[in-house]
Amino acid sequence: MGRTATTITQHLNEIESSLTAFRRTLRRSDQYVFDGLFAAARRHIAAIGQAESLLPFEFALLAIVLEQAKEIAVLKQELEGLKARHG
Amino acid sequence: MDEQTGWLLDVYAEPEGGIILWLLNDDDQRLRLRLDFPVTFYAAGDFSLLRQAWIYLRDKNVKLERISRRDLFLGERACLGVTIPNPSQLPGLFAELSRQFPALDYYDADIPLALRFIARTDAHLLGRVRITLDEERVQAIQPLDSPWVIEPSPIPLRILRLSPDVDPASRKPTQLQVRYERREYRLPLEPARAFLISLKSDLKRFNPDLILTDYGDTWLFPQLKVWSEETGIFFNPNRDENRDVLTRRADSYFAYGQVVYRGAQAHLFGRWHIDRHNAMSFGEYGLEGILEQARVTGLGVQEMARKSPGAGITAMQMLTALHMEVMVPVQKQQVEGTKTLAELIRADHGGLIYQPSLGLHNNVAQIDFSSMYPAIMVRHNISPETVGFDRLNPAGKENAPEGLVPKTLRPLVEKRLKLKNLLSELSPRDCRVEVLKARAAALKWLLVVCFGYLGYKNARFGKIESHEAVTATSRELMLQAKDVAEDMGFTVLHMYVDCLFVQQVGFERAADFTPLLKSILNQTGIPIVLEGVYKWLAFLSSKRDARVPVPNQYFGAFEDGSLKFRGIELRRRDTTLWVRRIQLVVLELLAQAGTLQELAECLPDVLDLVDRAKRDLKGGRVHPEELVVTQKLSRELTGYKSPSPAARATLQLQAAGHPVAPGQAMRFLFTRGHPGVQAWELGEALDPRRLDTTRYCSLLDRAMRTVLDPCKSLMAPVQLLC
Repeated sequence: MGRTATTITQHLNEIESSLTAFRRTLRRSDQYVFDGLFAAARRHIAAIGQAESLLPFEFALLAIVLEQAKEIAVLKQELEGLKARHG
Repeated sequence: MDEQTGWLLDVYAEPEGGIILWLLNDDDQRLRLRLDFPVTFYAAGDFSLLRQAWIYLRDKNVKLERISRRDLFLGERACLGVTIPNPSQLPGLFAELSRQFPALDYYDADIPLALRFIARTDAHLLGRVRITLDEERVQAIQPLDSPWVIEPSPIPLRILRLSPDVDPASRKPTQLQVRYERREYRLPLEPARAFLISLKSDLKRFNPDLILTDYGDTWLFPQLKVWSEETGIFFNPNRDENRDVLTRRADSYFAYGQVVYRGAQAHLFGRWHIDRHNAMSFGEYGLEGILEQARVTGLGVQEMARKSPGAGITAMQMLTALHMEVMVPVQKQQVEGTKTLAELIRADHGGLIYQPSLGLHNNVAQIDFSSMYPAIMVRHNISPETVGFDRLNPAGKENAPEGLVPKTLRPLVEKRLKLKNLLSELSPRDCRVEVLKARAAALKWLLVVCFGYLGYKNARFGKIESHEAVTATSRELMLQAKDVAEDMGFTVLHMYVDCLFVQQVGFERAADFTPLLKSILNQTGIPIVLEGVYKWLAFLSSKRDARVPVPNQYFGAFEDGSLKFRGIELRRRDTTLWVRRIQLVVLELLAQAGTLQELAECLPDVLDLVDRAKRDLKGGRVHPEELVVTQKLSRELTGYKSPSPAARATLQLQAAGHPVAPGQAMRFLFTRGHPGVQAWELGEALDPRRLDTTRYCSLLDRAMRTVLDPCKSLMAPVQLLC
C-alpha cells in the first residue's frame, strides 16, 4: 500500500514552502491575503487531483481564480440586492 | 464404528503423526480425535535445480512426484510435489529445503493446517459436523452447516475467567479473580503452592473450553510456569495433556505508519486461551466477533484473537486458492508494472475527498455506500489476475471468470448485508442484537482491510494495479453520486471516500432522502444507505488557518439527539479522560438544541461548565486517573533527539527496572518542573501541588476551541476562552 506520486496536498505544501522568502517580504496585511490564495486552492484539492496533470499548480491557480470569481459573484448579488432595496 | 455429531473446536498437528481434532459433542463431551493427514507442498523453477532437490529429498520420509499445478499469474507450472505423512514435520523440512535451494519458487509450504483441513473436508471450525469413528480414529467427516449461516447454532462453551486484582505492569498482583458459571471468588496468589492446587482443581472440576484472562499472555501463564517450577507442583493448563503451553515471544513491528507492540503469547491445546489485553480487537467486537472471524476465516480461535483482520483475509484467500486448486506462493511474486510518468500520475490516486464547506449547517443527511470497496471488487470482478494496467479501462475484466479476490469476498459481503438487514428488523431490546452487532462489526473489519491487501507489499495475492482499479472505480462512482444529488437539487457539503453529506431546504426527515438513495443505487449499482439526518453539523477548519477546511473532522447531532464526531479530541487515544469527559458533556448539551438559534442559547452554559471544570482541577477535585495521558513510544529511546513526554516517562520506568519496548503505550501525568512528567506505572502517589494544571487547562481550551470555533458566528462578542 502507499502512493508513489506526490499528492496534491504535498505538492501545494512544497510550492508554499518554496515561496517562503517571497511571502516573508510581503507586508503583514498582504501575507494574510497571500495565505488566503493557498486556502482557496486547498478547497479544490479533489478537482486538482482529478485533472491528472503533470503540472498541477496550473490547476491550483485555476482553483484560486474560481474562488475569486465566486466571491465576485456573491458581492455582485449583494450589490444588486442593496440596489433593489434602496432604489 | 461409532458416529458423533457436535461442534468442531480445534485442529492441530500431532508431533507423533497426523492431526488432532477436538469435538464438543451433543452429549456435552469433549472428544480428542485423530486423523491421518498427509500434506503436500510444491517447488517450481529451473529443471536442473528441481532435479537436485529431488535427489536431496529422495532418502527422506516423503513421497515425491512430478506434477503440473496452477500459479494464479503464470498459469500451469511443472512442479516437484513433496508429500509428508506427518504434517508437524513440514515446517522443518521446508526450511531445510529452501535453505539448500533458495532459487526455487515454493508453494503451499506455509498454509495453516486448519485451512488445509477445511479445504479437504469442507468442515469448518466452530461448525457442526458428523464424524464416523473407529475408536478415536476419524474415518469420515460430514459437515452439517456452513460458515455463511446467518444464525449458527450457539456452541455451549464453558468459559473460565481469570483476572488479577491490578495491572501487573504497574503493581504486583496479590489476588486472582476466578469466575465460571455462577461462581465468583478471589484466590490469593500467595502461598504459590496453595494457589496452584486450588486453580488446578478448578480447571479439573470445570474443564473449561476457553480460559479468558486479563494479562494471561504477558503475566499469568509465564508466572504459572515459574510457580510450578518453584513449588514442584505439576501444572498443565492444556486439555491435551500430551502438550505443553505454546509460547511466542513479544515483538514490535511497523504497520500502517506506526510501531505496534504485540505482547508475548500463550496458546493452549484442546482448549483456548484469550488474553483480552493482547487480543487485537477484543474491545471492538468482543468474544462473539472473534468467534465469527474464526468461523469465516478458518484460522483457529486463539490465532484469530491475536492477529489482525489482515491475517484473516489472507487466510480466506488461501482457502479460496485451495478450493480453486491454485497454488499459494510462499512469497509475493507480483511487482508493479512499468508505467510512464503520465500513466503513474493518472493511476496513483486514492479515494475522492471533497473539502467540506466550513462551519455549521442544519438538516444535513449523511449517506454511505455499504462496504464500497469490497462491493466494487465483487461487482466489477477486480482481482490481481483480472486487472492489468489499462489506461482506458482501469477496472477488472467483467466478463472474465470470477477472480480469486471477488470469489473470496462475495460470501463475506453478502453475509454482512444479511446481518445488517436482520439487525434493522429487530427491536433494539431483542436479546440477539448485541451478538449480531458484534458479528457484523467483526465482518466489517475483514472487509475494511481486504482493499489494503490488494496493494500490500507482502500480500500473496496482491497487485498494485488492482488496488488502483478499485480507487479509480470508487472516484467515478462518487462523482456519479454527486451528479445525481445535484441534479435533484441537493447541495453536496462534503464527500469522503465512500460517504456524502448533502442538504436541501425543506428536506429534514429520513424519508425525504429515500428517492435520492434509490437514484444513486440505480446509477451506480452499489447499495447506499442513510447514516442519519443531522439537526446540525459542524465541519472544522485547520488549526493553522481557519480558512482551510479539514476533511473528515466534524461533529453533529442527529434528529434523535445522538451524537457523531470524527477527528476531534474525543476520538483521540492520547486525550485525557478528563478532557474527553468535558468535551462529551459539552457536545451532549449542544445536542439538545434543535436549531442553530437554540444552539446559540446553549453557549453561555457551555462557558460556565468549562469554568467549573477548571476550578475543580485547580481545587484538586479531579481524580489523577482522569488526567493520565497515553502516548505510544514510537521508537527506541536512543532514537530520540529531544525526548517526547512518553520517552521521558519511559526513562523513569526503566530506571525503576521496568522494561519497555517500542510500540508500547506509555501512561503518565504532566507535572511542573523537570522532567515534566511522572510515569503512571511507577504507582507513586503524586503531590497535587506538582500537577501541571496550566498544561491541563490548555489541553481543555484546545478541545473547547474545536467545539466552539464553528459556533463563533452565533456567539455574543464576549471573550470565548482565556
